[in-house]
Amino acid sequence: MDTQALWLTLRLALSTTALLLVIALPLAWWITSDAGATRAIVQAVVALPLVLPPTVLGFYLLVALGPLTAPGRLIIRLLGHPLAFSFAGLLVGSAIYSLPFAVQPLVAGFRAVDPALHDAAATLGASPLRALLTITLPLARPSLLAAAVLTFAHTVGEFGVVLMLGGNIPGATRTLSIALYDQVQDFNYAAANRTASLLLGFSLLTLIAIYWRGAARRPLLG
Amino acid sequence: MARTAIPLTAPPQLEVHLRHRIGALTLEVDFTLTQQWTILFGPSGSGKTTILRAIAGLLRPDWARILIAGIDGQNQGRKGTYVDTDARRFVPSHQRHVPLAAQSASLFPNMTVRRQVAYGISLAPNEAVHAGSMLKQRDDKTEAILALFRIEHLAGKLPGALSGGEGQRVNLARATASASRLLLLDEPFTGLDLALRSELMQTLRAYAAQENLCVLSVTHGIAEAFQLDAEIIKLADGRIVQQGPVATVLADERARLLQQLTPSE
Repeated sequence: MDTQALWLTLRLALSTTALLLVIALPLAWWITSDAGATRAIVQAVVALPLVLPPTVLGFYLLVALGPLTAPGRLIIRLLGHPLAFSFAGLLVGSAIYSLPFAVQPLVAGFRAVDPALHDAAATLGASPLRALLTITLPLARPSLLAAAVLTFAHTVGEFGVVLMLGGNIPGATRTLSIALYDQVQDFNYAAANRTASLLLGFSLLTLIAIYWRGAARRPLLG
Repeated sequence: MARTAIPLTAPPQLEVHLRHRIGALTLEVDFTLTQQWTILFGPSGSGKTTILRAIAGLLRPDWARILIAGIDGQNQGRKGTYVDTDARRFVPSHQRHVPLAAQSASLFPNMTVRRQVAYGISLAPNEAVHAGSMLKQRDDKTEAILALFRIEHLAGKLPGALSGGEGQRVNLARATASASRLLLLDEPFTGLDLALRSELMQTLRAYAAQENLCVLSVTHGIAEAFQLDAEIIKLADGRIVQQGPVATVLADERARLLQQLTPSE
């Protein structure tokens, strides 16, 4: 068992989940409350990773974060090295790749809250932010949990973006799914089997946990 | 019993000029509230609820001027102007502090009855008092309101565990608790049995008089209008047909109702 890859995978998944919840909460709130064309465009961009081959995303990120673009050059100047082929770069890629898995359950959860409750809160003197904190978020807690678990599980299972953007550096960018790929390339089927069953078991348990909690009573990806 | 409607300290308390198109209905109303309790009376679809929502700030009218008097009954100028389309002024709902008890009780599913009632009290505009006594004041008022509406026994329950009538009472209590000048009630007594209905009306009437609250409620029930003995604003198709004491404005309706109730030989 490649324990280094295992720890790296968990670290990446936890960091991605934490980062994404911070980004996805306001984003989902805005998507729920806005109805214009801008919202449709933003929602489409957020959902893109669902349909895009991960290699496409990985390729563009690789180019964008490298020395060919202005932001890439800025990052290189600030950090002293490119974001690609580092843990930080992997985190950026994972966050973008898993964004829909964090945003969609939250949007579904926020939409399920009756607008009449916001009206009532407003006439009682609650600002929109207070209504969000005291009513919407508590009511959308199952969706928050679903978003976190799905993001975590999806990051554990990602491959294409990691391969394109991170390469295969042990301890920095070599996650379990990459390790599995290597093991197969080396004809080490015994090791590959252990890695694969670990990933399979983990994914299955995660989904069972979600359904068990009843969080999936609402459509997770609605 | 000949009860006369109680005029407020210094009328008018609320001044409403409203033009708004909603579906096939064109609302065109101008009125002032001068009595303690005023009822918007009219058939469904005559625009009653829309008027309440516009006053509460839940709806942005096509054109409106809505002014409220201060605690002393005097004109407050800009501060008391909730909406003035011409002057591009629109005070958002949460800054108006005009609670509206909606027809379908929209109780917060995640809060106990006690927390619902307390919710608006702590958000109401308050004279400067230090935080400790403000909390005490809130708790005292919460308990008083729970007692007033006889829902102390429900205080620890979540809305999911309430019956329809109980939920309606909590809805009324929650709105009443956070009212400081004006209270809006949309068909507040529907779905309650007769005895409870009369009891709640008396309770609210007494409370409004005691707190010098101005109440504007919506109904299409004649009995309710007579029981409350309030000022009536009669609406039809988005316009005011008549405004005045209930005995005058609803005399025809009352005669018709009595005729229907009297068995013919």
